[in-house]
Amino acid sequence: MKMYQKREKKDDEDAAGSNPFSKLQKTAVLQEARVFNETPVNARKCALILTKILYLINQGETLSTQEATDAFFNMTKLFQSKDTTLRRLVYIGIKELSKLAENVYVVTSSLTTDMNAKEDQCRPSAIRTLTTITDVTTFQGIERYMKQAIVDKNAAVASAALVSSLHMAKLIPDGIKRWVNEAQEAVNSDNVMVQHHALGLLYHIRKSDRLAVSKLVTKYIRSGLKSPYAVCMLIRIASKLIEDEDSGTDSPYFDFIDSCLRHKLEMVVYEAANAIVNLKCTSQRELTPAVSVLQLFLSSPKPTLRFAAVRTLNKVAMTHPNAVTACNVDLENLITDANRSIATLAITTLLKTGSESSVERLMKQISSFMSEISDEFKIVVVGATRQLCQKFPRKHNVMMVFLSNMLREEGGYEYKKSIVDTIINIIDDNPEAKEAGLAYLCEFIEDCEHVGLAVRILHLLGKEGPRTSRPSKYIRFIYNRLILENAPIRAAAVSSLAKFGAHCEDLLHNILVLLERSCLDTDDEVRDRATYYLNVLKLRQKSLHNQCILNPLQVSLVGLEKALQQYILEPSVTPFDMKSVPLATQVDKVEERPKKPMVNGLTNEALPNQVSKAPAEKIAATRQDIYAEQLAAIPEFVALKLGPILKSSLPIELTESETEYVVQCVKHIFKRHIVLQFDCTNTLNDQILENVRVSMQVPDGFEEVCTIVCPRLNYNIPAPTYTCLEIVNDDTSMITGTCENILLKYIVKDCDPNTGQLLDEDGYDDEYALEDVDILVADYMQRILKPNFGTAWEEIDSEHEVEETYALSSFKAIDEAIKNVIGFMGMQPCERSEKVPEGKSSHTLYLAGVFRGTDEVLVRAKLAVNTSNFESGVTMKMSVRCRNPEVATFIALKRDYKEITNNPIPNIYAKPLDNNILEWHFAMRGAQQTPYENGLYHGRIEFPVDFPFKPPSFYMLTPNGRFKCNTKICLNTSNYHPEAWNPSWSVASLLIGLYSFMNDDEPTWGSLRSSKEERMQLALMSWAYNLQDPIFVSLFPELAQECKRKISMICSSKMIKT
Amino acid sequence: MIAIINRILDWLKSLFWKEEMELTLVGLQYSGKTTFVNIISSGQFCEDMIPTVGFNMRKVVKGNVTIKIWDIGGQPRFRSMWERYCRGVNAIIYMVDAADHEKIEASRNELHNLLDKPQLSGIPVLVLGNKRDLPNALNEKELIEQMNLAAIQDREICCYSVSCKEKDNIGKSPDFKIHLLIFHILVSKI
Repeated sequence: MKMYQKREKKDDEDAAGSNPFSKLQKTAVLQEARVFNETPVNARKCALILTKILYLINQGETLSTQEATDAFFNMTKLFQSKDTTLRRLVYIGIKELSKLAENVYVVTSSLTTDMNAKEDQCRPSAIRTLTTITDVTTFQGIERYMKQAIVDKNAAVASAALVSSLHMAKLIPDGIKRWVNEAQEAVNSDNVMVQHHALGLLYHIRKSDRLAVSKLVTKYIRSGLKSPYAVCMLIRIASKLIEDEDSGTDSPYFDFIDSCLRHKLEMVVYEAANAIVNLKCTSQRELTPAVSVLQLFLSSPKPTLRFAAVRTLNKVAMTHPNAVTACNVDLENLITDANRSIATLAITTLLKTGSESSVERLMKQISSFMSEISDEFKIVVVGATRQLCQKFPRKHNVMMVFLSNMLREEGGYEYKKSIVDTIINIIDDNPEAKEAGLAYLCEFIEDCEHVGLAVRILHLLGKEGPRTSRPSKYIRFIYNRLILENAPIRAAAVSSLAKFGAHCEDLLHNILVLLERSCLDTDDEVRDRATYYLNVLKLRQKSLHNQCILNPLQVSLVGLEKALQQYILEPSVTPFDMKSVPLATQVDKVEERPKKPMVNGLTNEALPNQVSKAPAEKIAATRQDIYAEQLAAIPEFVALKLGPILKSSLPIELTESETEYVVQCVKHIFKRHIVLQFDCTNTLNDQILENVRVSMQVPDGFEEVCTIVCPRLNYNIPAPTYTCLEIVNDDTSMITGTCENILLKYIVKDCDPNTGQLLDEDGYDDEYALEDVDILVADYMQRILKPNFGTAWEEIDSEHEVEETYALSSFKAIDEAIKNVIGFMGMQPCERSEKVPEGKSSHTLYLAGVFRGTDEVLVRAKLAVNTSNFESGVTMKMSVRCRNPEVATFIALKRDYKEITNNPIPNIYAKPLDNNILEWHFAMRGAQQTPYENGLYHGRIEFPVDFPFKPPSFYMLTPNGRFKCNTKICLNTSNYHPEAWNPSWSVASLLIGLYSFMNDDEPTWGSLRSSKEERMQLALMSWAYNLQDPIFVSLFPELAQECKRKISMICSSKMIKT
Repeated sequence: MIAIINRILDWLKSLFWKEEMELTLVGLQYSGKTTFVNIISSGQFCEDMIPTVGFNMRKVVKGNVTIKIWDIGGQPRFRSMWERYCRGVNAIIYMVDAADHEKIEASRNELHNLLDKPQLSGIPVLVLGNKRDLPNALNEKELIEQMNLAAIQDREICCYSVSCKEKDNIGKSPDFKIHLLIFHILVSKI
């Protein structure tokens, strides 16, 4: 790059014929530098040579260490000249060479002499130069002089010293902290720049201590600062403080920022407005004054002010488009601004705030000068278009045409990439735009110089193309790539073609012919792919196509690499098993979003459009691999032979975030074990915790195998302690539960808050209660993506299908229900079925996952909004397919339990036994105005193993006078009439059925005939009877309490009667 | 009137006597090099000195003689750079702490090492034994012996015992100018 720039620049200058340095030779110039050694020094001559050296370095010429060192030492001889111009050039030379030459510290003493010289001319530059050559070893020598310089009377000297201190803080942070008194004194300076820089240094020194920063801000808000620059900085610090403390708009800092909107200088006013719109906590009301200030700036005669205002408004428009609407008239005026950057930002802002009708006009306006603006702003326009598409999906036609026109024009990689990204995004969001979008992309790859983009588009064509109405029309574009392009693109084209072949049978014949031709390709990769696909496709087996062509690799790449390495290290006869590789964690985008790094209040330079999500996703994808590495380093776990991690849950907070100790729990699921990782943080700086461990009551079906103690927990350094549970009972119904009574146990030792030195040696034992940890179905479920859900669904027999219907009454809208279902199941939505087209009242959701690393589970859920009768909410009909029927049943039943606890049925309580999910107990209050009114009835439901194919049986356990105790009751729904059973009935619906059946008097098997009085008597006695049943008392502790109260009431009322 | 005549005379003298000298001042750390430069340039003695990091460049004008002095740091890491700054100067002043008997040997070795450099052959050397005010300081004769100065045959070399603190032999006594003159004559003879 540098070389390129150099050549370009030289060419330009050659043409002008005015650059005397254009033909410089490095060795000749360095030879000339020997003149520096001559005495007396000829200042003019030396200055010229020095300029030549600097020119060469800035042109990208590289000097070897030896050359640089020689030049540097020759240059030091120039210190004997008193010529100021030459001296300043020497400083620049030192700065340039300080990174290249050795022993540059020899000029330290000379520079300290210069910075204390009597003439002011060279002092600031000497200070700045000094900091570039200072390292840890020479720091102490200059400290005294720097402190003096910070409080120097000369403003230029003080500023230079302050800014240099900030630079040095990177290298020697602790040293700079000792200068706090000088910095404080400098803040009181009368000079605007010194005050600004001093505040900057002071803030930097205290940055890590929030309390000190807030004291600092409060102090200067009260005393007021003269320098507008310093006020601007104070605004930035204050706004960062508001964000950090989460204190919202009632914070005194916010009042300060707000008051700055009325400052007499535009600079401060703008800074305050910018700070307010960037705060996350602001609402429309707080925004309005800031926006109206910016609106005033829009009509300012100063272009910089207009630019700043429109750029800020552009940002606001993303979060609060309504707030900006007020400025629309002023923005309209800016569309024709002479400055193209202002005009572009004005239009993109209008696009964000404007109505659907104005879109076309604005797009036309902007395309008229698209060619005149730089790539950077074109990207801003593209970003605005993308948002517009999300807002007005119906306008996709206009957008697509606009984007495709831009694709045809000249532009750099970043620009083209952002357009392609946008088109792909629109295709993702809006199925109607798919065909048009693919067509434009096809046209683009016909003449695309960026290999990466072409490969990406070919991959997309392979994925989406086969499912369009006329797949054949894309083949021509793909085949053209095979003829015209270089190897990577050809390889991608082969893969893409193969996908068409696998998906569309009518095209298969033609595809085979094309692939056969590619078998003669010159590139190895292309030939390999073609041969592979050709042979797979020739077999013409649908399931094989699915497995080998359409489904992508599901394993985590890091894991695969590690597993292969391990396999090579330990020679064995068995072939490598792909199943032993941990599956890749599919990143849930919804969960990822809040994790995006906060835009720092002090460096909010990046345009939000350009904040790429890529790094965040990359970290998340390898999160599990990081955990795997950490766990593998613990010998106790290695000894247990845990195998690969199947899934690591997201961290769960077990404490409030502001408590003494903060603990997070991560659940690592293995084949036969669960490792609970407790990440503990000690937030007390006067304590050290030792021997930290966690004790808990392990749920049935699990056994605690080992705990890994954290030996020492220092202040604010998180450290993990682990508990490993073994899954004892392999019965699928037993693998969920709740770890209760979790206690963090440790020895507390007091220590000095500043040094961390232990004050008492013995310490004392203590414990700290944590919240319970649930082990849920979702924990066992790994997300996998099935790009072609339909065929995968067909592959599993419908015999293994379990179907259920649920009323999700707590959700009002489908998308809300879908989000919760996905979260609960822990499965991956496929074919973008998690997105609900607007305005539809029913939707089908496809989910795929792998249960406990072995059983593939597919779920098809049809959701519809209940608009009929009084029952509002969403109804879901869910079909589960899995080769293991037990798993399908389990997943269906687990949902039931959740359903009941989330949406309790009035007067009915039901819970499964902790150790057997197939046995449920229920309790129901007698209905009002029936003989059972004063009773509470306890009963049992037994589910068959193949529920819901076969119905459950119901038993009443409390004597009631309606049903016999402990005898199967015949309901239409229960197992007495298996032929009438419908698998879509849920436990909830069964219980409601039983409840209403009880109030009837219709005779059935298991019913009793008794008088009303008898039934009323039994109702009164039911409370005492239930208390005798241990299962009832343990499952329904609150009801048991109520029983006790009720009994005492009944007794007292009887006593009154008698 | 006489003053005017004197000034004219000085001016005339300076026309003929204008001399510029370049000296390099080296020696082990804490031997008093920077103090020495301060004494001859401003006449001020300061106890509280910080070690020289790298070098100081000073110009001293005494009458019609302008002396440029490169005062180089004496810490071990700077010793390899001494040679760079000794090349092509009129004379090398080598400062020795005459009262620190333990360091004499190290000082001698550094001096001989430096003078062995072929680039510096023939450059006259003035060895100054500093801190003669201290009770156990070596005198000139002992110094010549301890520093093995007799072995240096390829150049002019002379040795003086001085005290920067008492300003013995420097500045205060008219001797110093004489010394410099002697030295200057020594130099210009070559």
